[in-house]
Amino acid sequence: MAAAPTLLAKGLHKTFHGQPVLKGVDFSARPGELIVIVGRSGCGKSTLLRCLNALETFDEGSISFGDLTLGRGRDDRKARALRANFGMVFQSFNLFPHLDLLGNLVAAPMIVKGLSREQAEAVALPLLEKVGLSGHARHYPGQMSGGQQQRAAIARALAMSPKVMLYDEPTSALDPWLVDEVFDVMRKLDAEGMTQVVVTHETRFAREVAREIVFMEEGVVVEKGPPARIFSAPKDPRTVKYMSRFAA
Amino acid sequence: MRLAAASLMLLSCALGAHAADTKAGVLRWGGDSSGGAPFVFQDPEEPAKTVGFEADLAAALAAELGLKAEFVQNQWDSLVPGLKRGNYEVVINGLEITEDRKAEVEFSDPYYLTYEALTVPKASHDVVSLSDLRGRRAGTLKGALAERLLAEAGGITVVGYDTQTMLYDDLALGRIDAVLMDHPAAVYYGIDPRLKNLPGQFGRMAYGVAIRKGDAKLLAQVNAALARLMKSGKLREIYETWGIWNPVMAAAFLDERPGRRAEPSAYAAYLAARGVRLGWRAQLAKYARYVPLLAKGAVTTVELSLLAMSLAVVLGLSLALMKLYGPWPVRTLAAVYVELIRGSPLLIQLFFIFYGLPTVGIKLQPFTAAVLGLAINYGAYEAEVYRAGILAIPHAQMEAALSLGMTRWQALRHIIIPQALRLVLPPATNDFIALLKDSSLVSVITMVELTRVYGQLAASTYDYLGIGLLTALMYVLIGLPFVRLSRWAEARLAVEKRPRTT
Repeated sequence: MAAAPTLLAKGLHKTFHGQPVLKGVDFSARPGELIVIVGRSGCGKSTLLRCLNALETFDEGSISFGDLTLGRGRDDRKARALRANFGMVFQSFNLFPHLDLLGNLVAAPMIVKGLSREQAEAVALPLLEKVGLSGHARHYPGQMSGGQQQRAAIARALAMSPKVMLYDEPTSALDPWLVDEVFDVMRKLDAEGMTQVVVTHETRFAREVAREIVFMEEGVVVEKGPPARIFSAPKDPRTVKYMSRFAA
Repeated sequence: MRLAAASLMLLSCALGAHAADTKAGVLRWGGDSSGGAPFVFQDPEEPAKTVGFEADLAAALAAELGLKAEFVQNQWDSLVPGLKRGNYEVVINGLEITEDRKAEVEFSDPYYLTYEALTVPKASHDVVSLSDLRGRRAGTLKGALAERLLAEAGGITVVGYDTQTMLYDDLALGRIDAVLMDHPAAVYYGIDPRLKNLPGQFGRMAYGVAIRKGDAKLLAQVNAALARLMKSGKLREIYETWGIWNPVMAAAFLDERPGRRAEPSAYAAYLAARGVRLGWRAQLAKYARYVPLLAKGAVTTVELSLLAMSLAVVLGLSLALMKLYGPWPVRTLAAVYVELIRGSPLLIQLFFIFYGLPTVGIKLQPFTAAVLGLAINYGAYEAEVYRAGILAIPHAQMEAALSLGMTRWQALRHIIIPQALRLVLPPATNDFIALLKDSSLVSVITMVELTRVYGQLAASTYDYLGIGLLTALMYVLIGLPFVRLSRWAEARLAVEKRPRTT
């Protein structure tokens, strides 16, 4: 018996400077699933992810999570209510450079949830341990490698106890030998049952870990399904063409 | 203490309330002590003391009224506006009784009668009367009667000065061909060995005590007191002490008693002080005596600048946020403010606040007006600096903060502004140093700060060079700690630039 869809996007449309970016996208992520969205640059996959987190507004459609529903246009209050359930990880890490690592982790819990520093650190320190950065609590982002920064960014998002983690090309800015340390953290979270939505070009990770692959092109979801099928037996000619590049 | 008082004052004017500022038992009289001898000037021997024949007259007048005289410094050409807005009750500073001025203020009966006198370089032989000045440059004080006489003579280039010292100095240096000034000034400044006074008398003028219109009681009291001082011979005594009793006065006051009632001791003392050539040790000792007075001015400068800058920072940051994140009417308002304030001279803004606003019932204390004027002006500059600083922080930082559940304001306050602050520290420090020096402009609204003290001292001692260097040094010394502080803060905040430690 499949669990009820928790994160649900219906009929999302978005136009950017007269250019349609999303043309009626449906999307769902059930609890505990790891979903990977793939597609060429400009296909709308990052925009979809940013819409899910209400960092972008959309022109039509809705996003719902549990009993929260966000419609078209700007609604700061609803956006914030929605975001409270999601953690977001960016391609360029976006750690706060003026705060040390621990400061990055405790900032939002203290400011948004009103926790004391002690309470916030009690949450943050085990998370640093989990992403393998226990020894770096007092280091500043500028003193850390890309892989370390991205793991720190994941820990920072986790500090707000999100129910869903969203990743926007989390390894694209990393040197190849640093990619795995980030994916290892995501694997660990998957094993713990975290719901995760990942936009990435790393097919190896997608093949190994994803419960579902969503292939997008020109603002629509072309095809979705388990990685084994999408990679080896795609149905739509556009998916076939895209996947052929990874055949070798 | 002054800081606390100032913030209270700011509060009270924000509420539009202001107490009447007349002081019991005191006759506040306005004058410009950088104007020069023998009217009102700083005693070269004892620089903290304001002396001059008008200082003596003010004291005598106040004594007759059962009051104590208190001197209030203001620029000479702003003495009447200052009287009207209530900075002092009377003006006693060579103010000629003219029809123009009578439209603005009341005048007492004349306390001194004189005429204009020409002073020329010693080598000059072809100037005897005003008509000889045609095609030449003649100097006098800005706004003085002599300025009009020169203009009426026609064909003369009239050069207006702020102080007598500069006026006669320029004549001695050959930058102008003649000086037309009230006779007492010629008596004191024409004695320069490079200059000579001509015997001709031009025009007739009478100095009166200026009093606010409607202050009829004080006017009557002053007139009665002046009459008593004339009759008792006290007035003549003051003028003789200063060496400026003249036949015109004798005729007008029906006091043709021959001989002297007093020795010209003050004149002699002035000449002695001027003529002295000091050795370097004595010269240094003399500068040491000026330091306390300059330091007092410096304290005012620092208080003014710190308060003004604090306000400017708050104002600038608010304006920057309004311009960046406000809805369009707020954005437009902030933009118009910045362009208007940044685009117009600080001097005009200060005059507007101090002399303009009382017309609509807002009367600010000089210190408050000075702080507000500087803060309003620098706020506009700070706004643009902070806006640039905030814009320099990548938008991704805002997105990261929002995605962690922060509100836009929380993100600004905790994430964006702290980072922007570090960026704007050097330009903001720059602005503070500029403000420190621009604060010298507030002397136009009766504030006696460092530059004004310099003006007063230099005018009474002729030492523009030495005291100028001393004053400039003081400005540098005031600025230095703030430069150091900013550098320290910059280093502390620049954490992400530290080298890796692992």
